[in-house]
Amino acid sequence: MLFQINFKSGMPVYLQLVDQVKAAAASGELKPGEALPSIRPLAEELRLNRNTVAKAYAELESLGVIESLPGKGCFLKQNHSPLRKEIRRKLLIEEIDQAIVMAHHLQVPGREFLELIQQRMDSFEHKRRANEEHKEK
Amino acid sequence: MNSPTPAIEIKNLAYAYRKAEAVHDLSFRVQPGRCYGLFGRNGAGKTTTMKCLLNLLRPQRGLARVFGLEPGKAEVEVKRRLAYVPDQLAFYPWMTVRETLDYLASFREHWNQKKEQELFDRFGLHPSKRTDALSKGQRTQLALIAAICPEPELLVLDEPTSGLDPIVRREFIETVIGAYQEGHPGSRTILVSTHLIAEFEGLIDEFTIIDQGAAVLTLEADTARERYQRIRARFSQAPPEMELKGALRVRREGRELELIANGGGPPLMESLRKHNPETLTTEALTLEEIFVAALKS
Repeated sequence: MLFQINFKSGMPVYLQLVDQVKAAAASGELKPGEALPSIRPLAEELRLNRNTVAKAYAELESLGVIESLPGKGCFLKQNHSPLRKEIRRKLLIEEIDQAIVMAHHLQVPGREFLELIQQRMDSFEHKRRANEEHKEK
Repeated sequence: MNSPTPAIEIKNLAYAYRKAEAVHDLSFRVQPGRCYGLFGRNGAGKTTTMKCLLNLLRPQRGLARVFGLEPGKAEVEVKRRLAYVPDQLAFYPWMTVRETLDYLASFREHWNQKKEQELFDRFGLHPSKRTDALSKGQRTQLALIAAICPEPELLVLDEPTSGLDPIVRREFIETVIGAYQEGHPGSRTILVSTHLIAEFEGLIDEFTIIDQGAAVLTLEADTARERYQRIRARFSQAPPEMELKGALRVRREGRELELIANGGGPPLMESLRKHNPETLTTEALTLEEIFVAALKS
């Protein structure tokens, strides 16, 4: 997969990598069992500190998104969060609350906000299906 | 708390060439395994600071420590564990590339042959070429091979990429990341001085901006980019007069307003929002922009 780093986003660089892997997994762009680029070539290509890339991969591993096989590299795991359901829900609620606060400040009314969520979910579903069809060919 | 001995410690350092004070009360500290940037304009005191770490100059006041050691007293031990790429490269002109590396390797107890070959292949350097026939880019590549093959705990780079073409600069940085940083993370520390900040942006963990020999700003790179923001707002009419506390710089142009904030981004956004702007956006400053902002304010 191809990563893109934006220093102007104000987000820590390693988190940008973490988020991009998570997004690629959610959209099916990256499939379970598929390999991630190795740390060294990725760091060189993005001209990022090697430790930044290593930190991102360590974070993804502790989140259960990827697994690292010694001598082989890092691979996307089957989607099995190691967290209990209530904790997973709690984490999601925090993110949703953030988005609701944002919607309030951007004057996006509740109904429109819900429509947007539906739209975005459809969009991810669409991408995921497209990625799966591509795989079957 | 038992914290590890810093790879570098500079404390209240001062050095003057005759009466011209080059470094004045400078302090910073580099933890092992980090990539530390020393940013400053030409003549800000970066090279003088590095020379104090290498015992090429003796601090007149304050202290300079490398691995907790005093470079003037433990020069051999310090130099055994570090490699230095100076801004002015000097090789014996009559030696070939091969002879130069053999000569430099003879001072080292460890030399990674595999890495040497890897770098030769990457740069396409000819071992039989005399060093006085090398281009500036090739001289830099030779210096980098000589610095990386001993696999030192600390790599000190003084303006390593200035005067080089973009391809060589890119390769230089990729080599530092790939060939040098590969190894035990705790024993791969980098101190790099530069005024070409943009190309080192992704490599820098933490930095100090120095001006006229003193530290102006020391921050973690991620924290800096989070703290320094450019906020842009466009209004339907001329921007209203309002108090913009905490803005480092304000520019007004027609219906637009641009602010640079240092840490006070959210409250500034809040007060702008109250005036119902048509658009309101924010982005982080890059390290180079932060450098300019820090030296201009």
